[in-house]
Amino acid sequence: MRKIKFDFVSSTVLDDKPKDKRISFILNKVKDGTILVTDGVLKPNEEMDLIKETMRRVDSGFPGIEVASLKKETKGLLSMVEKISDQSERIQNLMAGLTGKAAEKSALRTGITIIGPAKFIKKVKKNPDSFSVLTEV
Amino acid sequence: MAVGNFFDWLSSLFGVRRSVRLGIYGSVNVGKTTLANKIAKDWTGEEVGKASEIPHETRFVQKKEKVEIKHKNKKLMINLLDMPGIATKVDFKDFMKYGLSKRAAKQRAREATDGVIEAIKWLNNVDTVLAVMDATQDPLTQINITLLGNLEARRIPVIIVANKIDKKKAKPHLIREAFPQYPVVELSALKGNNIDSLYDAIAKHSRRGR
Repeated sequence: MRKIKFDFVSSTVLDDKPKDKRISFILNKVKDGTILVTDGVLKPNEEMDLIKETMRRVDSGFPGIEVASLKKETKGLLSMVEKISDQSERIQNLMAGLTGKAAEKSALRTGITIIGPAKFIKKVKKNPDSFSVLTEV
Repeated sequence: MAVGNFFDWLSSLFGVRRSVRLGIYGSVNVGKTTLANKIAKDWTGEEVGKASEIPHETRFVQKKEKVEIKHKNKKLMINLLDMPGIATKVDFKDFMKYGLSKRAAKQRAREATDGVIEAIKWLNNVDTVLAVMDATQDPLTQINITLLGNLEARRIPVIIVANKIDKKKAKPHLIREAFPQYPVVELSALKGNNIDSLYDAIAKHSRRGR
């Protein structure tokens, strides 16, 4: 019988890493066959970066990942703060790209995320307030 | 007045008409190329690329430039950009199920991963996006949510296309319920059902290039 390892990682571990290191940390674990669960949600641009980096690492033994996340909905002032923070981060990233300096760290959003190897996670069923993950080994 | 609208207004004063870079995005096999072909054929008489049931048929960005859409006394020049499907996994074994040899399947997988990366990079170079979803499938996927989140963060106008409404299993209302904050056009790119509503939405929601 094959075993699956789950790593439950506090979002503070990921918060402490610069973005590129954060994505490498996630993918190194997932490519080793681990399913990672964390109490935070990547920002949309980071999720796209995660997909891009995953595609660079796809090979015959690693077809990719499955991701599912649930973000705590923000309303009113908090939602506005998030949007301003996103715009400010885009400008920082642009400047970092122009100056060659490493991008700043940024905190994960409140929520829950599961990221695992696609060869084990066969299906993710998302609902507005929950998700189910079907694995096969 | 938003900066983009201000430039549109300023350009119109001087008679400058800039085109819209219209990106067609979505997951794999939702009908992006079929839609691109329908739009291009309606207005230029030519298709953009080959559509197929084999996943990742489009592995490079396919372009059709200077497509002039005329709708209700409005004219809009668009550069149509048919993107490779966005995916979090590409397994060469999936292609072998369609009769491809192992070598051809691995080659296709390599090109498909490059295509996904290229499509994501192009997000910085589109003015308006048609986010295509298969109305016979569950719309609440991580790809759809991530794509829409990125477009919102970049302030790129989005029109969701609920495609394949000609199929019996289609439930386009689920797409409307999942993403109530976006304009949704229900259509069949294959049969052309309700395509005029899409042209109406493109004329209404598109933002010209900056």
